[in-house]
Amino acid sequence: MVLVILRRIVVFATTVVVASIVTFLLLAILPGNAARIALGVQATEADVAAQATAMGLDRPPIVRYLDWIGHVLVGDFGTSTVSRQPIGPDIADALGITVILVLTSVVLALLFAIPFGILTAVRQRGPDGAILSGISQIGVAVPGFLAGLLLVTLFAVTLRWLPAGGWVDPADDFGGFIEHLILPAIALGSVQGAVLSRYVRSAVLDVMRDDFMRTARAKGLGTARALFRHGLRNAAVPVMTVLDLQIATLLIGAVVIERVFSIPGLGSLLLDKVALRDLPAVQGIVLVLVVFVLVLNFLVDLAFTVIDPRLRSAS
Amino acid sequence: MTAPALSVTDLRVSSPFMELLHGLSFDIAVGERVGLIGESGSGKSLAATSVMGLLPDTLTATGSVRLNGGDANLLTADERRLNQVRGNTMAMVFQEPMTALNPLMRVGAQVAEIMTVHRTQNGRRQAQDRAIELLAQVRLPDPAQAALAFPHQLSGGQRQRVLLAMAMANDPQLLLCDEPTTALDVTAQAEVLGLIGGLVADRGSSLLLITHDIAVVAQVCRRVLVMHRGTIVEDGPVGRVLAAPKHPYTKNLIAAADLSVVDDRGRLRTPPAARTLIAPSRIEADAAPAAILPPYRAAHQRLAPGGPPIVFNEVSGEPAIRVRELSRQYRRPGGRLFAPKPIVHGLRDLSFDVAAGQRLGIVGESGSGKSTLMRILCALDQPSSGTVDVLGQQLGGASERQLREFRREVQIVFQDPMGSLDPRMKVRDIVAEPLQHVGRAEMRARVEAQLAAVGLDADVMDRHPHQFSGGQRQRISIARALITRPRLLVADEAVSALDVSVRAQVLNLLAELVDQYRLTLVFVSHDLGVVRHLCDTVAVISDGRIVECGPTGDVYDRPLHPYTRKLISATPSMPDLAPRSAP
Repeated sequence: MVLVILRRIVVFATTVVVASIVTFLLLAILPGNAARIALGVQATEADVAAQATAMGLDRPPIVRYLDWIGHVLVGDFGTSTVSRQPIGPDIADALGITVILVLTSVVLALLFAIPFGILTAVRQRGPDGAILSGISQIGVAVPGFLAGLLLVTLFAVTLRWLPAGGWVDPADDFGGFIEHLILPAIALGSVQGAVLSRYVRSAVLDVMRDDFMRTARAKGLGTARALFRHGLRNAAVPVMTVLDLQIATLLIGAVVIERVFSIPGLGSLLLDKVALRDLPAVQGIVLVLVVFVLVLNFLVDLAFTVIDPRLRSAS
Repeated sequence: MTAPALSVTDLRVSSPFMELLHGLSFDIAVGERVGLIGESGSGKSLAATSVMGLLPDTLTATGSVRLNGGDANLLTADERRLNQVRGNTMAMVFQEPMTALNPLMRVGAQVAEIMTVHRTQNGRRQAQDRAIELLAQVRLPDPAQAALAFPHQLSGGQRQRVLLAMAMANDPQLLLCDEPTTALDVTAQAEVLGLIGGLVADRGSSLLLITHDIAVVAQVCRRVLVMHRGTIVEDGPVGRVLAAPKHPYTKNLIAAADLSVVDDRGRLRTPPAARTLIAPSRIEADAAPAAILPPYRAAHQRLAPGGPPIVFNEVSGEPAIRVRELSRQYRRPGGRLFAPKPIVHGLRDLSFDVAAGQRLGIVGESGSGKSTLMRILCALDQPSSGTVDVLGQQLGGASERQLREFRREVQIVFQDPMGSLDPRMKVRDIVAEPLQHVGRAEMRARVEAQLAAVGLDADVMDRHPHQFSGGQRQRISIARALITRPRLLVADEAVSALDVSVRAQVLNLLAELVDQYRLTLVFVSHDLGVVRHLCDTVAVISDGRIVECGPTGDVYDRPLHPYTRKLISATPSMPDLAPRSAP
């Protein structure tokens, strides 16, 4: 088991390195010159060349990559070409906010999807199951930003229960922090929850048809007990595969939701920096987003190993 | 007189569309062992699942099922009452050992669970200890260690023993076994059957053993029920039913199961053909007919322990297949992170010939390497070393281009007639697929002729595979294999998934077609009876080596190698059974 985890760590580390190279290359080959962007369109060719030398852009790409990644490893993402301030602290602040938002919405999605999916599976033949199933189908069809706008209209504008947007640091005012978190987390999590509940339903239905469930019934376990003791853990395996794939979608959703609720997370920061053509900052943010997705995928991978003994043995 | 352990009266099971079981009534006395035989679809599993109360929601059962003369009719009992009975008073072992255990739970815990559920042991610890004792009783090696294993770490036979340990944990008065050994090798089957007999006798339990294999019933049971289309057509002592069956269906079933009885043309006896089948027609050979081959008689040889490798069945002149020093190794994924991966020997140093027109049977247990050998002979896998010549084509390292002609001349029939036909293709397209560069009209004519040759009417052409029975699907597979007019036919367990009467029909058809097309046949099977009937030569393969090879009759009657003897003695054969089990 330790061996399998070690192997997964090696794979994870390799993926991160490859991802950083891809990120670097993509932004390096994009049209547009960071030096010219920094100086503005009026600058002369000589000024641009001097600026490029000052920024180290005339060095070979491999040197520039190693220089960049070496600094990133110690938390130095370079200096913004627009504000001339270090980028690192901005990214760190924004990352904290996005992590909280994404993880809360994952938890909300699971809290909704698991019981809802099981219920619709068990009540598959009843009218209630069909109605619940229809509700989740609608949920799948609603885009996250629309859900966000509807939630704002209802709870912030009409009912005035919750703020329409913005962000409060939990260290400053925990109550305010929760108030500001609820709507965006629901907006982001509801769509994922609806999608996941469809998968939970089909996984539970599949498991209920499995031979070992019949064995469990033949042992004298009732349907519900058999489902809880034998079925759910088996159903978790395919659901986690889907969750793994959804994580990237979730992060893209977060970029949009942060805009809708004016939350200063990584998504908002990225859009701001793209608008300002602040290439070093964009490069850093993209890398952090990619690594964030990889870390979540890695954690799901580890969870697989814990749940399924067939993945534990080295073969 | 004591009340019967199980009493079933007028059991009827219906789906929304039709009645499936038409009023079954039978008793099983305390300690009695009863076999229930019949073909697939006859309703035997349905009968057992009704008794256990595990019918799918879509089916309804009426009548009565009573245990030990109790008043409670289990068919109308509520779920709570059934949960008390299931796994306690009566227990069941299912057919599929690979999927019947929870893959995420240690097997010891799964055995212990049935005791904690019914509180037959004081607490979890005792249940765990008792589980290890039970695993020892079903003779799992190192039971304490085995209890910690997950199902995927055990073989099929071992998993079936775990299920048996589980079923017997609470000393049930009635044990139901649904095809408990169908998925197992002959040696594993013999062991599991022995265990079932022993455990049931120790506890004085009654047994209802469902199987399609009459020989299995004869080995374990004293009485047999024969089911056909949802009714019990015969009920009597095993010896009497085997020796003097009364019902015509039973007569047919027993005749078809017995591969040693043939008519004067060497054909197996089969029940009257179903409506959809027509008499197979002959296809006139379009090419110049090959010379009629003299029957080739192999030398009978065995591999001596530690002795030099032998060239089995050596043919002078040009054989159809020539294999020399063939080895196939695999690297198993896993092991240490950077260490070389462990090597698994699939085949070791095989040398043999197959003469043109010879019918070679390859027998062995699962894992012996017989499927690997088959795949290499069909150029679906590459040898690690050694040479393989099939029909003059050197297979090692040959490109797909070079193999084009070979692919036409060598055709395969696979085991699973459901899984090996594309469910979305029509029969016409399935059969025509191997044909290339043939016009529409000719294609149609050839497909029609080929289907006729395997006994299928032309109007099946526009149907899909799921609309056919297992035997019919296997006929479609054979038609597909023969449409290119191959010279070599390789069959991998081609009749293992079929019922006995259908099996007899398909075997007759295969034998006829092999004659008619003058095919060389390589027939891979774990079923020694089938190989004995169909093949003139047999090679016994064990642990990646051929251990014995020779004319079929010689090998079966005078086996030279201990492994062959073990294999043959583990196979129950029909003729010995009737007198032995007669009361």
